[in-house]
Amino acid sequence: MNPQPVILIIDDEESMRDACAQILVKIGCRVETAPDGETGLRKALEIRPDAVIVDLKMPGKSGLEVLDELRLIDPAVVAVVITGYATVDAAVEAMKRGAYDFLPKPFTPEELRLIIARALERRFLAREAETLRREKKLLEDNIITMVSHQLRGPLTAIQQYFEVILAGMAGTVDDKPREMIRKAGERLNGLMSLINDWLDLARIDKGALIDRLRPVELRAVIEKLIGFLAPAALESGVALGWGTPPQAGLAVLGDEAALEQVFTNLLHNAIVYNKPGGRIEVGIRDEGNDVAVEVGDTGIGIATEHLPLIFDQFYRVRRSEGAKTKGSGLGLSIARKIVEAHNGRIEVASEVGAGTVFTVRLPKAPAENPPTEDSSE
Amino acid sequence: MSATPAKILVIDDDPDFREAVTAILASAGHAVAAATGPEDGRAKILAERPDLVLLDIMMDSLFDGYALCHAIKTAKEFESVRETPIIFVSAVKDIAGSRFGFHEGAEGLSAPDDYLDKPVKPADLLARIERLLGK
Repeated sequence: MNPQPVILIIDDEESMRDACAQILVKIGCRVETAPDGETGLRKALEIRPDAVIVDLKMPGKSGLEVLDELRLIDPAVVAVVITGYATVDAAVEAMKRGAYDFLPKPFTPEELRLIIARALERRFLAREAETLRREKKLLEDNIITMVSHQLRGPLTAIQQYFEVILAGMAGTVDDKPREMIRKAGERLNGLMSLINDWLDLARIDKGALIDRLRPVELRAVIEKLIGFLAPAALESGVALGWGTPPQAGLAVLGDEAALEQVFTNLLHNAIVYNKPGGRIEVGIRDEGNDVAVEVGDTGIGIATEHLPLIFDQFYRVRRSEGAKTKGSGLGLSIARKIVEAHNGRIEVASEVGAGTVFTVRLPKAPAENPPTEDSSE
Repeated sequence: MSATPAKILVIDDDPDFREAVTAILASAGHAVAAATGPEDGRAKILAERPDLVLLDIMMDSLFDGYALCHAIKTAKEFESVRETPIIFVSAVKDIAGSRFGFHEGAEGLSAPDDYLDKPVKPADLLARIERLLGK
């Protein structure tokens, strides 16, 4: 294993530390030692060892506690546990806490060398696997992006020509061809939506959409979306706003853009499937461990037999005979995937003719990371 | 919208986009110079001295586009055209809308003066150009 492997030895017995150090230095390792758990953990943070040898029984922090904390520092570190009290229970417990192997005292230099050699091999392989995994993901992401770009490019060129023609900048256009071009443009827009949605769906599947988890304050996000969608709601004759005044400061750990997409999709559906003069009410609730967001509409509702299917890809309930179904049919499927990727749940309740309520439940962000609120009151 | 005729440099490898945009710009009385990509654009901007640059940001030349913008705004080589306003145009929303954030923080590349998504609405494009030239 190149470069030089770094081993940290945590044991309260000086003679043990020295003996192990000597043995390991002979096989080309760089060795650091610590006389107790606390010091050991501090050193681990500093030197980032490849492997750690931990004595189970130490005054102060126990070996098992050290194992737990080591895993937080570096989940990929290999830990070998040594102890004079070699019991099956102790061994099992240590393995449960992530120890790679267990070496009962007394042991021979050869035994220590062998175990450390195997441990380092294991660490090397694990890191190789991680690198390969990351490269594969990068490649896949690039392929997805590349394909979508290959598809978008030509479509965009066509859309661009249509824009120019319809703006009258390529000469006068009679009504009939103008109308046909307009309709052709709409079909193109639909195709573009589909590609964008597929791209999103694929990226959610690969876990790429959920890039960085940050505390997201939901009220601010939804407030923003209500603003964005106000014109569309107005155009459809639908009132869009908060039901009960929303609770502020409720945050979830997530990807803000992805969560925006979830609620945009829900609100968009609420507008499209509503009746003129109808309402859309949004609410945010604290549910202890979760935050619940409700999007309720007074729309046409969904029949019971459709309810289990609406989150399926491409599933769309026909409004009425001949009515054009807008959108790609992927909106709810994407919403659910994103919510589930956030460890949340999405549910729907509905009554035909009366309306529909979608409820999104997401785990609350831990209190230690309060979000930076940029809410505009 | 009274446009003072200007010379616009359109940098895009798609001949169809160049043709479509030329029609838009011509309808407002603007003169159009064209380049097929950031490489070609570097030479053309110095040769043509346009009043404004439309720069297509493509997936495969993503960094080149940003690099050209940065060069125009900071490099000695482009001192003579330093003040030329630059509008990024892109078919990929994330790029034009700069979720890539190349000009933020650590990356530190200079930002363009404006962004537009493709396909551009003719009225939008002309308005943005008008605004940037008015400065």
